[in-house]
Amino acid sequence: MIGVYAIAQGTPRGLSGARGEPLSVIARDDLELVCGAAPPELSAEALRAHEAAVRRIADAAAACLPARFGSAAPDEASLVQAVAARERELAEALRLVHGREQMTLRVYGTLPAVRAEGGPGTRYLQERLRAKALPELEPLRARLSDLVRAERVEPHAEPGLIASVYHLIDRGRSAQYLRAVESAAIEPLRVSATGPWPAWSFVPELFP
Amino acid sequence: MRKRERSAAEDIVERADASLLEIIDHVLNKGVMLQGEVILGVAGVDLVYLRLNALLCAADRLLPPRNGK
Repeated sequence: MIGVYAIAQGTPRGLSGARGEPLSVIARDDLELVCGAAPPELSAEALRAHEAAVRRIADAAAACLPARFGSAAPDEASLVQAVAARERELAEALRLVHGREQMTLRVYGTLPAVRAEGGPGTRYLQERLRAKALPELEPLRARLSDLVRAERVEPHAEPGLIASVYHLIDRGRSAQYLRAVESAAIEPLRVSATGPWPAWSFVPELFP
Repeated sequence: MRKRERSAAEDIVERADASLLEIIDHVLNKGVMLQGEVILGVAGVDLVYLRLNALLCAADRLLPPRNGK
């Protein structure tokens, strides 16, 4: 069993994995599969170590799509087969994240109830739509417009947590991004920002 | 809450500090998923999925306390 850390481009040799093991790079056309030891049992330390290993790859490679913790394949052939069918999507995603990194925003607060014609189903759908569009964040988006290259919004159903917003920025711009977030007024909502992260939220779904 | 044995996953999520919660969300909920059936075999991962959003929503764990609120 081999563990997978990332699908990347321009990965330098000599990187190490979560447990210090040397990483191997399987090149296939324009993609590189960055592999190491089989994933360990779940633990807080294992999660931190996986994140750190992916971060080393993302910092060193030209483009990096992180692999989820626990990603593995019985052997090289089945791994290559798993990505072969989705090569075009992966190449497109690699183009998007090339030279970029991710910032993560958690948006807290309560949105006013949606006034919708029709039944509770319609209202639910409209609420989901609005949580995804989040017009309340426009002042923040305006301040970030020079920095943000792509945005993904994930609405949440939990009371208090409205959505997570993921932004792709050019590498090295995170300090500027964080300053812009701090200075934007989006009352009554609140946001927390973390990053820079590898581009965890800008990967294609291979197994939807 | 139901009384039952705590799993490793519950321990991780409940004792996590804000930075570990952020790592968990990125490392377990995001990223390319390869060989879906293998990841589900990693013990307790599904439990982490279930509990994570609820904890992320505890805003005070992530945000410094604000004066005057």
